[in-house]
Amino acid sequence: MKHQHLNYAMLLRVVGGLLAMEALFMIIPFVTCLIFDEDHDALVFGLVAAGTAVAGLAMMRSLKVHTTRFGKRESYLLTGTVWVVFSLCGMLPFIFGSSQLGVSDSFFEAMSGFTTTGATIRPAGLAPLTHGLMMWQAVMQWLGGMGIILFTLAVIPALNSSGGMQMFNAEVPGITHDKIMPRISQTAMSLWGIYASFTIILTLLLWFGPMDFYDSICHAMGTISTGGFSTRPDAIAGYDSDYITIVVILFMFLGGVNFTLIFNAALGRWRKVRANDIFRLFVGMIFLFTVLFAVAIFAGGKYDSWRDLTLYPLFQVVSTITSTGYTRPEFLVWGQFVLALTFIMMFTGGCAGSTSGGAKIDRLLYLQRHVRNELRRCVHPNAILSVRINGNVASQELVGKVISFLALYMIVIVVGGTVLAAMGLPTVDSFFSAFACISNTGFGASVTGYGDDYALIPDAAKWVLSAMMLIGRLEIFTVLVLFTPTFWRR
Amino acid sequence: MKIVIAGAGEVGSHLAKLLSDEEQDIIVIDDDPARVAPLDANFNLMTVVGKPTSFDTQRDANVAKADLFIAVTPYESTNIVACGIAKSLGARKTVARVSHYGFMDPANKPTMLSMGVDRLIYPEYLAAREIITALDHSWVRNWFELHDGQIILVGVRISDKAPLAGMQLKEFASNTGNFHVSAIRRNHETIIPRGDDRMMAGDVLYITTVRENVDRLIELCGKTARRIRRVLIMGASKIAVRLIDMAGDRFRFTIIDNDIAACRKIPEKCPDAKIIHGDARDMDILLEAGADEADAFIALSPSSESNILTTLTAKEIGIPKSVAEVEDMQFIPQAEGLGISTVINKKLLASSSIFQLLLDADSSTSKCLALSDAEVAELEVRPGAKITRAAVKDLRLDRSMTLAGLIRDGHGQLITGNTVIQPGDRVLLFCLLGSLRKVEKLFG
Repeated sequence: MKHQHLNYAMLLRVVGGLLAMEALFMIIPFVTCLIFDEDHDALVFGLVAAGTAVAGLAMMRSLKVHTTRFGKRESYLLTGTVWVVFSLCGMLPFIFGSSQLGVSDSFFEAMSGFTTTGATIRPAGLAPLTHGLMMWQAVMQWLGGMGIILFTLAVIPALNSSGGMQMFNAEVPGITHDKIMPRISQTAMSLWGIYASFTIILTLLLWFGPMDFYDSICHAMGTISTGGFSTRPDAIAGYDSDYITIVVILFMFLGGVNFTLIFNAALGRWRKVRANDIFRLFVGMIFLFTVLFAVAIFAGGKYDSWRDLTLYPLFQVVSTITSTGYTRPEFLVWGQFVLALTFIMMFTGGCAGSTSGGAKIDRLLYLQRHVRNELRRCVHPNAILSVRINGNVASQELVGKVISFLALYMIVIVVGGTVLAAMGLPTVDSFFSAFACISNTGFGASVTGYGDDYALIPDAAKWVLSAMMLIGRLEIFTVLVLFTPTFWRR
Repeated sequence: MKIVIAGAGEVGSHLAKLLSDEEQDIIVIDDDPARVAPLDANFNLMTVVGKPTSFDTQRDANVAKADLFIAVTPYESTNIVACGIAKSLGARKTVARVSHYGFMDPANKPTMLSMGVDRLIYPEYLAAREIITALDHSWVRNWFELHDGQIILVGVRISDKAPLAGMQLKEFASNTGNFHVSAIRRNHETIIPRGDDRMMAGDVLYITTVRENVDRLIELCGKTARRIRRVLIMGASKIAVRLIDMAGDRFRFTIIDNDIAACRKIPEKCPDAKIIHGDARDMDILLEAGADEADAFIALSPSSESNILTTLTAKEIGIPKSVAEVEDMQFIPQAEGLGISTVINKKLLASSSIFQLLLDADSSTSKCLALSDAEVAELEVRPGAKITRAAVKDLRLDRSMTLAGLIRDGHGQLITGNTVIQPGDRVLLFCLLGSLRKVEKLFG
């Protein structure tokens, strides 16, 4: 079939609208700066927000749109573009603000925020960022957690069309996209509604504990988005409060659960929750890894109190599997086996349709059942074996798609790690950081031992890692399809 | 409005797409995942896989909150049971597609209501009614009348011989004043014209008028009204049987079908029709059936392509009126372009009745007419509706709709810019697809 021209005018108009919205969100750190008397950063946020808004509105208003047609290709291109453009605008406060980061560092920081990777480029020794800049980091993670496009679908009625549907598919992680309401804007609104209510509840719960209001908001955004943002270098551990640890574990866990499932639970449809294989696997894996962690810690004799065998391993496991990336300080001494387990969890990630990263355990379940079938087929070549998930038989096409996703995922990690190694990074660190970025986990890299966070990495490598974060967040296909000839050929 | 559609077959899918584009909340139920997958992936609606007659499936689709439940699976018993379940769960209004006249019989209406079925769609019946209208008014493509012909809207293709051809709308209006050009279909696109638009040869004009002026309109369009007597039908389909049954003895029918078993069955239902066994695509068979003397040719075989091509052959032989059933939507404009005077499509007919239901849910007497990218509907104006607040020219109507005429106190009149619409009027509305929301606002 002959392809039509891409509808660039409409695409740019939508991007413009989104930028105007980003500018609105910049008002939050702007106000924060004003409250904390951070005049320089307030000015920077004010100017950047104004500039972004003007650019956005200009794109919306000035372009002549011949047709509002918005197909699959436009949706893919839009989703990729929006995430990059958002990061480009989001990095400006870091360049011009009091943080004084370079362009590469700032872009890395912004992309790490929006993709909820939560890795940071700044060496831990430097003076802490201003309240405004930290608030912006938290807001970026919060926005990126549930998704920029999804937010737009919820608030801009013009996208409530088939075009909006395609954008939803391109951005929301998952294998199949379950709608929970008849129209896409209603689905987006319900998902964002759940997300926003969780954020508010978490903020209040944290505030109730030994945390001030500002820190509560920032940590709530960093936790529910599974971004792992913290206002302090020692993160959650610094509060030394069991209450806060438990609350954060609970909400990281919720961030790793499919929001459609949470929606069904909220409506009291427990039948669907109970019948969900993936949710059960998710809970089972958390339990299993916690036990393995505890065994490893016990065997290594690295424990002082009961917390070291129960609460802290659980915290670390949930933080890793949901790709949040908060770390306990004890994590560093827990040993090699724990680190290896961490690798596995970074790979699996949480449930599809959640805010977590990784390859998603749904896909691993597909893979496991498919592999099991292939093994059986060795013995019974004529047997008809199917991949059953949640009681439904998955089509061969779907299984094929899942498996090629997993293969691509591995290839991207290997290629990314190799490129980083070529830039002079130690091999283990190359692969670990490639892994941490594509899975959007983003540990403080001291975990692998190259000193202070990602700061030692050369500039070019920061762009590579940023790209990997985006590929991981948009689940590979959305980004890679833009680099295929088929996409552009007319 | 929340609408649940059970059955993602041709009619169901068409309705789902159409209504989703009209910004309604659509949930489609079907038990075949392969049938709903393309709908789910490409349209702004939600799908539920499961049997339409299962309580669990219907609960999943939240039928209890639905304003309208439409059952259009191929099986009428499934549809009726599905409607019954939906009604018991709390759906406000239910519609079932049936394929048997017994259900439509007014005498059986209470039984249907007691089974939870509020409305019926019977596409074959609608098609037969449409064909009879086309035969009664052979010079038009579409004929839509309100209140015994007090207001009439016709769709007619004009040739270069028509006095109208080349005329601007405003000169036409100032010359005559008794006609309202509601829409023009040109190059596969329907537009609502303004005063400076011109009518061109080859256009299909949708003109509204009152009964006294119809004869004058025939002249202006360069047509002659001819009485149709002998009708040739290709394909002994359900529509054919329905048509012959409904038409009574006004026409003399000859049916051509190449299935001998079907031919032998026909006399049970249509004792007066003449039946020829053979392929209507064969010229000898056509002539044997009396094609050279026939007044109308109706192609109702299952294949749209055969219908279109055979109708063209019939035109070549000299049969003046041609009707073809075209079920593939993308062939409709082609068929119209080839000069087939009336095209029948069951999906359009079904969607049109649903459309009417959405616009005017309380009235069961209202009529409607479906065109491939527009709808014509009769609407009753309720007290307090926005449309009654000012003269039509001050209402700032969107260009996707036009108000053509109205019935007030049993008399028809055309609507001009100065008309003020009153509650209780029955308005003839012509609107392009995608404007349902705007119409609802005006009349709500």
